[in-house]
Order: sequence, then C-alpha cells, then structure tokens
Amino acid sequence: MYVKFPEGATKRTNPEAAADVVYDAVIVGGGIAGAIIASRLGAAGKSVLILEAGPAEDLTLKGYEGYLDRFYSATSKDNQSPYPVNPNAPMPRGTDARRISPGTPDSSAYLVQSGPFATDTTYTRVLGGTTMHWEAKTPRMLPEDFRTRSLYGVGADWPLTYEDLSPYYNEAEHEIGVSADVEDQSYLGVEFDEGYVFPMKGLPLSYLDRMVAEDVDGMPVELDGVRRELRVRPYPQARNGIPNPGYVPRGAVSTYQVEVGGRCQGNNNCVPLCPVQAKYHAGKTLSLALQSPDVHLVGQAVAYRVHVDEHTRRVTEIEYRRYDKPDSTHFTTERARGRLFVLAANAVENPRLMLASGLPGSNGLVGRNFMDHAYLLAWALLPEVAGTFRGTNCTGGITDLRGGGFRGRQAAFSVDIHNDGWGWARGAPMTDLADLVDAGGRYGESLRQGLVDRVSRQLQLAFMVEVPANPSNRVTVDPAYTDHLGNMRPILTYDLPDYTMRGVAYARQLSKRIFARLGAEDHTRYDPDFWGYAVYGGEGYEIRGGNHLAGTHMMGSDPKTSVVDANQRSWEHSNLYLVGGGSMPTVSTSNVTLTIAALCLRSAAAILAQLDAESAPIRLTSTDTAQARPQEVVL
Amino acid sequence: MTAPAFEEFLSLSVDLTAFEETDLLGTGLAHQYLAKVRDACGEEVVTALLDAYRAARAEATGDDGRPDPRRLDRALRHRVFSDERLGPVARNVIKLWYAGTWYGLPPEWTDCYGARPAAETSTVTAASYQEGLLWRAIAANPPGAKAPGYGSWAQPPRIDPRYRKGQGHDGTG
Repeated sequence: MYVKFPEGATKRTNPEAAADVVYDAVIVGGGIAGAIIASRLGAAGKSVLILEAGPAEDLTLKGYEGYLDRFYSATSKDNQSPYPVNPNAPMPRGTDARRISPGTPDSSAYLVQSGPFATDTTYTRVLGGTTMHWEAKTPRMLPEDFRTRSLYGVGADWPLTYEDLSPYYNEAEHEIGVSADVEDQSYLGVEFDEGYVFPMKGLPLSYLDRMVAEDVDGMPVELDGVRRELRVRPYPQARNGIPNPGYVPRGAVSTYQVEVGGRCQGNNNCVPLCPVQAKYHAGKTLSLALQSPDVHLVGQAVAYRVHVDEHTRRVTEIEYRRYDKPDSTHFTTERARGRLFVLAANAVENPRLMLASGLPGSNGLVGRNFMDHAYLLAWALLPEVAGTFRGTNCTGGITDLRGGGFRGRQAAFSVDIHNDGWGWARGAPMTDLADLVDAGGRYGESLRQGLVDRVSRQLQLAFMVEVPANPSNRVTVDPAYTDHLGNMRPILTYDLPDYTMRGVAYARQLSKRIFARLGAEDHTRYDPDFWGYAVYGGEGYEIRGGNHLAGTHMMGSDPKTSVVDANQRSWEHSNLYLVGGGSMPTVSTSNVTLTIAALCLRSAAAILAQLDAESAPIRLTSTDTAQARPQEVVL
Repeated sequence: MTAPAFEEFLSLSVDLTAFEETDLLGTGLAHQYLAKVRDACGEEVVTALLDAYRAARAEATGDDGRPDPRRLDRALRHRVFSDERLGPVARNVIKLWYAGTWYGLPPEWTDCYGARPAAETSTVTAASYQEGLLWRAIAANPPGAKAPGYGSWAQPPRIDPRYRKGQGHDGTG
C-alpha cells in the first residue's frame, strides 16, 4: 500500500477549538523526531497536538507528485528545489551562502550568518521536515563516539553509551526501514545483538564503487603508529530494498511502485526527493501516528513563544502564529496547551524558539555548541568509464578512519563515493555539457564522445569530517532580525576548529594517495573566492555544510554543563523535552538522523512514564491562562 | 509554424546532437523546442539559422547527393558556429536538446540582437528535463525520472563503444 494519511487527518483539528484542550503532549515540528514521538504516544492512547510550521496537506499521491513536478521544472535543482518558497516559514537554502566580511553579518537570507565561517547548511520546513530531502544514509554511531572526552580529550561525553542506545537503534532501523547487512556494518566496535538482521538486505554497491574497490581495498594507511587497511564498504540506507523475512516495506507512492513492491529503482535523486518514496521520510511515520484519532495536527502554525510558569518553571503553553496563506502575512495568534511539551523543530529552530522566548537557560547553554559536519570534496577522472550517475546518490564509501587513537589529535571522517559524480563540487553534468558545447566547440558525435569521456569517468570523494562541540559556535536571536510573521530569525556564529582542519588537511592528502592508487587524474582545485574557503597550514580548502545539525541543547549528566538529560528532558523545565540533533554531544562521523530516531524512541518511553507518573491534574498558574480545566480530548 | 521549417529544424538537430530523428521525435518535444527558439530569438533569427544550415549542407554535398562529414563539419563551423548571431543560438539548441533547459543567451548577443522575455534561462516543460539527451548519452537516467530498476547500478553502463575514449571515430559530426 502506498503511504497516505487517513483522509482529512490534517484538517480535522480546528486550532481555536484545540486551544481549549489540554493535550497530553504538544509537539512542535512534524519531522522525524516529532512524528516518532507522536506515533508512540498515540499508540499508547495519549492525546497529542503537532504544530507544523509548513502547510499541512494530507500526504497523497497527487500532493507528492506536486513536489516532483516542481523539481522537474526548476532550473536550479538544489536540495530545496521541490519545496515551495514560504516566507511565513522560511528555510535556509544552499544557494544562499555568501562569503562573510568580518564584522558584517550576512542577513540576506533567512539564516543570518555572523561568521566568521559561512555555511550552506539547510533544513526543510515542510511536513516531514528535512527527511523529505535527506540522502538517507544511516550509519550508527561508534561506541567510542559516546566517550570522546574521556578517550581523546575532545568534545563531550554522552550520558549514554552505545549499549544503552543499541536497542533503540534496532527499533529505529525498523521504524524507518534500513537496508543493510550486519556483516558489513560490524566494525570499529559496532556490535549487533545476536541474530539481529536489518529489515532489508543491503543495497548492492555501484559499478563505480566496485571499480574503486579493486584498487583501494587493502590500501595501507598508517595513522598515529597504527596500520590499517582501507576497504570500500556499503552504507546502510533508509530506502527500500529486498526485505528480510518478516518485514514488510512501507511506502511507495506511485501506482507503479505499488505493483512492484516499492523498492529503490535507482532514480539517483535521493536528494532532493525520491520520486517513488522508496526512501524513508517522516510522512511514513506520521501516516501511522495519524491513525490514532487522538493525534491532532495543525499546519501553518509557527511557534512564536514558549510560556513558562514563573514559579514552577513548567511550560504552560506554546503561543503560535497561524497564517492564513503562505503568501499572506495575515495570521491569528493561537495557543496550544498540554501536560508535556516537546520541541522537535531541529537543532537550529529549537534553540531559536527558546531564545526568542527569553529562555537561554541559567547556564546560558541553549543555542551553544552548534555542530554540523564539515565536508571536503575531492574529484578526479578514472582511467576507465565507470558509468557514473547511476544508482542511489551514494552506495559505498570508506569508513575505516571513523575511529581510532588519532582522534586525540585530528578529526575523524567517513568517505562517500558519490554516484552522482562531480555534481556537488562542480555542478556536473550540466557544467560539463555547457563547457564542452560553449568552450569546446563540441557537437554531434564529438559531443557524445566528450560527455562519456568527461562525465562517465567522474569520481568524487566526499570526506565527512567531524566538528567537535565548541560553545562559541552558536545559534542566537536578535529582535533586529525577524521574518514576515515577526518571528526572530536564527543567527549563526560558526567557525571550524584546528582539530577539524587537521582532519581536512589529512583527508586531502589521503585523496591524493587514493587517486594515485586508482591511476585517476586529480582535478581537485579549491577556489579562493568560494564562500566556504578556509585556509589551514598554508593550504586552502572549500568546505561545505552537511545539514547534520546538532549540539544546541546538548544532553549531559550534569545540569550545570548541559541543557537536557539523557531522556532529552530539559533540566530547567520539568515538562519540556527538547529533542533531535540538538541533544547530541558529538556528531562524530555519523549522519545524524538514525541517532535522532533512536534518541526519540528512547524519549517516547520516558515521556509515557512521566505522563503516567504525573496523572494528577495540573495547576495552571500563568497569568494569561484560564483556571485549570479537566483534560478534554476532542475526538 | 511551417512544415518545411520544422523538417529543417529536425534535420539540423540531428546533425547538432548525433541522435537519430526518431530519437528526437520520440521526446515529444521537437515542436515545442522550435517554438521556444522562435520565442527566445525571433522568427528572423530562426530563418537565418535554417538558411545557413541549408547552405552548409548544400556546400558539403557531393555528387552522390550525401553530405561528406568532414566538409559538413567545416561548413557548419564557418557558416553557423563562428557566426556572431547564429553561433550562440546553435549552441543553445544543442544544450536545449541535451539538458532540456533553454539557457539565457550571452549579454553580447542580447546587446546586439535584442533581449526578449522568453530568452531567459528556463525549462520548457517539466518533461523537457526528463527528455534531456545528456542522460542517454552517458547511459544514465535523468535523476528523479526514468528509473532503471533495483540493482541496475551494479552493472557496467551500456555505452556504445564508439563513444568510449579512444575507441570511436575521429568525432566530428
């Protein structure tokens, strides 16, 4: 069956009527974190209100194909191209990034950047959130990633271990539908329960991956006195493959997919949109959550302020602005009341909302320790035609340098082999076409030959380099910067530490060795005018963002040095959970979504326990809230 | 539009792209592409382009009634690609077929021959991206459409040996 919402699910809740209801939980954000928590609370019979900043339409075949059509028609096919521009819930766009002049913040786009380092990092504010455009690579974090402070003196330790999170990783992999094989994913200390199988078999490596593997497998690398051998390894992927016994893949939205079972078809378009929903997106979980009549959803609802009782410090309500239409600034002020509140808006929007509400935390840590991955790209032409531009965006890579003692000195990384060639680095293949025709004078047979020669031999390696937590990297707000609805916009202050740059420099050297081993022509050249140009050790590099937002409400075991506890519950506001990448003390070398999903499954259990423990009526004392009412649930 | 102009546009497109007439007609976009060139550049430019193309073919055609590839290549370079007015338009026609995008003409062209609103960079229709010949030339699908099927990416690409480096002919159309 293809993914769709119960008919009318997004319209069945009247915001004004909802304001008179005290929900068990109010969730801000209809992305993966909010969807997972809503689904678990709904299944336990709790009443839930989800506030979504983007328009909320029932997920249907027609609606999804609207995104697809917008993508086909767009002249710029960046990762936001399928999603309509919405000034009331604006989103950062990769194409917004500009070089920042010292002392002059770039406020030309929604995300205000005060630098010194500019980033093109993005997130998508539509129902389903950034999982609409994510690539859906789902590596688990390594056991050592939870203890980088103790082991390497870098970053922060988690209040959780790999073993603590492991059962939730299992559950998350089944919730989002991961294709992978245990034997490929057991490395650098990652262990699986005995007999564990992923929901679906691993996706085959691409022909390009195999060509790289022929030369790279067994390549010796010595780092900090430890010799290791590289190998090309498949990545686990949140997209439908061949199911293992007992698992029924979810999703597939085209009627054709219904017939063939919803498997990945190799559209090579994971980012920005899988045309057939073989790739997981949070709509799949939302469609289950909304099966419960007690899970309500209000779209076009942009959270404006978190109200807190001044005595108990508990959250009393979330004030939000509900706009009439995306192209009109007219809105009504509404409120959402609940026993518990969950901010699931992402690691930029969560702290933005807290800070705009005047809630920086007594330790001032809300918004601090912003993290992302720093991507270094290196590109070359292989000696033979590899048929680049086929497969999912990425099927394999090199993960042997994700962990090890060298992390005391330099950042770890994982390496993607991009099936889409130099697309990310240089806009291939359209730039190759334009160059061959306009500058090369090619046409006809000579053009066809030139394209195969220039495009089908492309190899791009993407080094995803870790960025450790640093309190100076932060999200703030300022009343001088607001959006159309009067919401304060996020201001990002971001720089890359030498620790990361040492990893970057090492990555570039390693790429040269890999290309030499492959007999590939290295075409990498970093442009000093590039907005993310960074110099280290006399060499310049182009650094890009990873959209792997983390760290802004970091979890810890001490309220003095963290914002939330291991359950993602606010230390200061006992009925508030800040969930998502913002809770992560390290990003290390994992794409963040799987870990976010695991953390939220864990939090859902904690939220249910808290709701049951606090079953007594709540006294509401804030001045603008009426007397306590018994809980009402609108069905 | 007149039928002879369409036939000539199609013939020109075959020579510019090295795809067969049936491939070009199979995109379902040939008429729209000719209309796009007319909208973007004007009727006069299209007529001049087709006139130059006709003259180039005539110049390259020997006694056997078929154009000699080398002579046609030279004639196209001399009469079309190096022409101030026609060169950029011909290159745009190639990119239109290959990418499905009409690229804005360079400013030195619009300064001389006028800027029309339709001349700006645009996709012709949502289908034109999907029908781009570029993807067929590299034996791939346009990302997001015409999916080749699960696991197909593990197989070698199906690229005609004539288009592989060092294995084709000398290359000219």
